[in-house]
Amino acid sequence: MKSTLTALSALTFALLLAGCATTVQEVPLDRAAATTKLEPQDVRRTVEKMVESLLVAPGVREFVSDRRPVLDIEPMKNRSTQHIDMLSITDSVRMQLLRSGLFRFVDRSAAGTVGTDIARIDQENQLGLVDASKAVKAGQQTALDMYLTGTLSEIKNVAGRSVDQYYKFSMILKDLKTGEIVWADEKEIRKASTRPVFGM
Amino acid sequence: MQTLERLAIAAALAAGLIGLSGCADTAGTVVTIDPLTGSTLIHEDNTRLSRRVQVRGINYDTVNGLQRAHITLGSTRHGRVRVDYRICWFDANGMEIDGDTKTYRALIIEGRDTVTVTGVANSPAGVTAKLRVRETSQSE
Repeated sequence: MKSTLTALSALTFALLLAGCATTVQEVPLDRAAATTKLEPQDVRRTVEKMVESLLVAPGVREFVSDRRPVLDIEPMKNRSTQHIDMLSITDSVRMQLLRSGLFRFVDRSAAGTVGTDIARIDQENQLGLVDASKAVKAGQQTALDMYLTGTLSEIKNVAGRSVDQYYKFSMILKDLKTGEIVWADEKEIRKASTRPVFGM
Repeated sequence: MQTLERLAIAAALAAGLIGLSGCADTAGTVVTIDPLTGSTLIHEDNTRLSRRVQVRGINYDTVNGLQRAHITLGSTRHGRVRVDYRICWFDANGMEIDGDTKTYRALIIEGRDTVTVTGVANSPAGVTAKLRVRETSQSE
């Protein structure tokens, strides 16, 4: 009887030890919602939905039917109370649109890119290492046809132990020549959580 | 001795429960749409899911040179059903195009309701579409 009790105690202790160990594992990118905050899967779904909407928009048809228009995308604006890397979301939109093969992109809206391009051209030409006949001259970059802008806004309602969080991504594609809005769409996300009576 | 037997039975039951929860079904319903041949194929791997959500209609068209697929899903339940779905695209050689960019999206189907989900090919090379539906609980 004593040996059985000892064995059971040892087993319980081992189980307790195992329960205290930190476990790290890779998880699917599209896992279920864990918080009411904006999560990676929300961003991925929003980017995919926005890109799909833009690609099949009737207004885009006349631009992509016989050529690949040149686009620029401004970093999306964050009007929510959360700290969200909007540059990363902007990059994802650009990457997916580039992969579609329907558009060409320039990168003028990103902070400092214009200055960097000019500085690089000047540096190359002034170093004296480059063949003057092959040196890149300023003023030859591709002209812009359209540009994309976007915002993220948020409404948060707290009632007792319940939290209702609403996010809205809005994007607009404008024709630079006419100033017309070629496409606009929005994606809404709503999440709700209820805090337990006991605990945090 | 009787106490030990009871302990052993309780331990076996607990182990069985843990084992069962660890063997959650991760399969789902797969719909393959091939506009080139006009064929569609529905493959159901999860009996529970196939009883709850059924494929009611499949349609496709081309917009701005990109393939677009519409699949109508219907609930057989009176209550709300939560599922995730993802539509991936394959080129004429059967190679998947940028599969990582196609995510599982959450879908809520109200009781006895039907919902049409739409997917657009990543590029003009996308020809065949594959819709995968899984229960939301399968996403961890």
